[in-house]
Amino acid sequence: MTAGSPPCTRRQVLAGLSLLAVPSPLFAGTAGTRVATLDWALLETLLAIGANVVAGAELRQFREVAVTPQVPPGVTDLGLRGLPNFEALYHAGPEVVFNSNFYASSEPVLARIAPVETHSIYMPEKDPFALAVEATGEIGELLNLTAAAKLIDEVEAQLLRQRQVMAAGDGRPVLPVNVGDARHYRVFGADSMFGAVLERLGLENAWKGATAYSANAPVGIETLATMPEAWIVLIPPHPADAIAALETSAFWDALPQVSKGRVLSLASVSPYGALPAAARFAELLTEGLSRAWNG
Amino acid sequence: MHGMAEPIRPRLKARRSLLLAGAGLSCLGLLLLTIWLMPVVPGSPEQAQMLREILIWQSLMPRAALGLFVGAALGLSGALLQHVLRNPIADASTLGIAAGAQLALSVALALVPGLLVLPREIIAFAGGFLSFAVVLALSWRRQLDPVTVVLSGMIVTMIAAALSVALILARGEYVMSIFIWGSGSLSQQDWSGVLSILPRLALGGLATMLLMRPLRVMSLNDSAARSLGVSVHAIRFAVLTLAVWLAASVTAIVGVIGFLGLAAPAIARYCGARTAAEITSAAALAGALLLFAADSLMQLLGPGFSDLAPAGAATALLGGPLLLLLLPRVRSTLGLRTASSVPLQRLRRPGLGLAVLGVAFLCIFGLALTLGASDKGLEMSLGSEFADLLPFRLPRLLAAGGAGAMLAAAGMIMQRITGNPLAGPEVLGVSAGAGAGLAVALFLVAFPSLPVMLGSMAAGALVTFLLMTAMTGRSAFSAERVLLAGVAAGALAMALVTLVLAQGNMRSYLLLLWMSGSTNRVGALEATFVVSASIVLVAPLFLLGRWLAILPLGADVNRGLGLPVARARLALALLAALLTAAGSFAAGPLSLTGLVAPHLARMVGFQRPAHQLMAALMSGAGLMIASDWLSRLVIYPYQIPLGLFAALIGGPYLLWLLGRKSDQ
Repeated sequence: MTAGSPPCTRRQVLAGLSLLAVPSPLFAGTAGTRVATLDWALLETLLAIGANVVAGAELRQFREVAVTPQVPPGVTDLGLRGLPNFEALYHAGPEVVFNSNFYASSEPVLARIAPVETHSIYMPEKDPFALAVEATGEIGELLNLTAAAKLIDEVEAQLLRQRQVMAAGDGRPVLPVNVGDARHYRVFGADSMFGAVLERLGLENAWKGATAYSANAPVGIETLATMPEAWIVLIPPHPADAIAALETSAFWDALPQVSKGRVLSLASVSPYGALPAAARFAELLTEGLSRAWNG
Repeated sequence: MHGMAEPIRPRLKARRSLLLAGAGLSCLGLLLLTIWLMPVVPGSPEQAQMLREILIWQSLMPRAALGLFVGAALGLSGALLQHVLRNPIADASTLGIAAGAQLALSVALALVPGLLVLPREIIAFAGGFLSFAVVLALSWRRQLDPVTVVLSGMIVTMIAAALSVALILARGEYVMSIFIWGSGSLSQQDWSGVLSILPRLALGGLATMLLMRPLRVMSLNDSAARSLGVSVHAIRFAVLTLAVWLAASVTAIVGVIGFLGLAAPAIARYCGARTAAEITSAAALAGALLLFAADSLMQLLGPGFSDLAPAGAATALLGGPLLLLLLPRVRSTLGLRTASSVPLQRLRRPGLGLAVLGVAFLCIFGLALTLGASDKGLEMSLGSEFADLLPFRLPRLLAAGGAGAMLAAAGMIMQRITGNPLAGPEVLGVSAGAGAGLAVALFLVAFPSLPVMLGSMAAGALVTFLLMTAMTGRSAFSAERVLLAGVAAGALAMALVTLVLAQGNMRSYLLLLWMSGSTNRVGALEATFVVSASIVLVAPLFLLGRWLAILPLGADVNRGLGLPVARARLALALLAALLTAAGSFAAGPLSLTGLVAPHLARMVGFQRPAHQLMAALMSGAGLMIASDWLSRLVIYPYQIPLGLFAALIGGPYLLWLLGRKSDQ
């Protein structure tokens, strides 16, 4: 700013603010539009609705943790989500970059590569499932992909169907946990995707507190004793030796959940996913619980 | 001495048993209180009762026992290390044993899961022994001078910590257990931890008793011991191995319990233990009681069944203050000799030298700006692609360079004010102090704004630096001692940071990002800020060349020359703190550039303050730019944060500096 220039007028400031407030459709894409994202929830959404994904972050881990949808081999790996390689993103040449509140601080740099579209799924005290539905719909409209609306309908129908299955079950609360080591685990409260899916399946989440919508501080395993009626649902990935050590622990064996066989081990699901992760979790949980109920 | 000690003995003994009874009773009280205040288990009464009993007998009791045994093992290990090395500040934390063991375990867990078929203890022992061997090898030529040994140990710990953080960032999800481990949680679900530490502690105690006689002889001196037929080296090696094994076993079972082995023998000596036998047994006892008390407090203060913080993070808070307290009593086996006494050649034409340095700097800058990696390999980007990539590369290079220059300037001021050639913002704990300031800001405001973050960092840096200069001013500390005091202050600040990290939420993530010193997200705004801050803060230094030239000569000379010593020191300290805060804002607290760059300038032969400053600025900036460039190339597309990468260069340099024979 030069020394002599007048300060901004109130009208200019208001105009600027209104630009920030209203999500302006900066971008109109098609099915073939080259897209990229740092966020895993948006990545799986984009892959699931058949967008032309050219780059995603931390793909090595994504393939192990989220498992589905599959990442095509040609997609550029951008490195760590918290430490993305912007030059790799530049070389991938996306036409639009999808971003979330987790990586908002990267936005000014991302905007230099392509227009940035922000859709947040994990926000304090908000239902991530509802936000995921919203984001999927908006992304589908933006990219002109009808598969998005179909995905929403399918997942909602699937959850309704599985709610019927669950209604015939034992009505016990469910505690989704991610084991850190033989003595600590991570919980997923109402503001997590797993919590939101439990609610839609008509199941009670055994963990009553919120979990601050992101990586929660590890909880000691003795807290499991406070939820003797619950199903313990283990969600990998677990460290190599944690489960083995857990199974030899006297306290673990003495827990009513364990002695009565109310422990369920699922396949790996992304804890910060969107609709595909929600559907995957619901599917694995329904399958596991109904098999357990029916012997 | 003997005549005086005799009549005191019985009274001492009575006092000691009184003390012991008091400590034992208060521990029992703590245990009962923990049981009494245990949260109520919900559910049907008989089930609740059953679970409550399990919690008491399978969680609370083994945890209490584990605290006692682990504390005893660490106390014993610390006492043995201190005795053999004749070093009252030796322990598993200060010698890098715990950090080495933990790094080995993290590497095994994250990179070579196949190694986990080996017992954890063996991996931990290998890592702990290796880093201990490095520390000893480095200080061997300085006759294992206590201060040098511990300084090397703390730096090895820092390098290991840098590597651990790099692993945490690189692996994301899997390292939750490393996190917990790193801070040493005593939480238990059965007696297996107790059963695995108990035989080791018993074996360690037995071996100590067997070695006690030769140990007593050794406390005379080497030649006396040899004339009595004791193989000094074999015994020493056996005792050291025993101590490392005890500490590594503890790390394998519960993680790092910071500085307990330092505190326990100190308490033992404070309570009147004098002989080797007294100190080892009293240290084991003190360690047991201390860890038990710390862990009980963490349980009592935490909400519900959760702890306030892991016991290891709580005891780590003891380390810094204890080191500072013990330091005046450490007898150095070496005189005051520092790297400053090494004669340096003087450049005959510093102007030409600066020009050469400038050209080299521009070459590095140009290369870092144009050469980069892509999926296709290394690529020189020119023309339109260069213009496209410039907005990504320029800000981070400017931020890295600006941070390097500011840290270099801060380091030079500190070296001149303290007259200590080993001073620097990182080694004096000033960067860590800035980190503590940031942690406080994050604690008070969830997402503080840039000015708030910078302000709190500058305040933390200034407080730490003023403390350090106050200490140097008060006593005739050698360069290494000041340095160790700084490292101790840094350890305290880092313990605070670890406590925030242990909370495992978004704040921890922000702090972790800062600690690793990432320049990745730097945009035009941050780059402009860093560059203008470096210009504004560095420019006055060129006007203060006279101060910088005569301050190292000492207060008397300064006053004689008409220098307002106190005011000059304060002004420069303030400037150094601001430079550190702004520099470590971009590059994190670990880089060691503030130490390395002024040294490079001196080694080349720039001696006049203005020349050294110019050269230090350019080498600091060049070093950071080169580090930043390499940090995004070596594991493309994954990146190593700049601060960590630079620490992996600066840490070994500092170790080399310490281990170098200074008496040439």
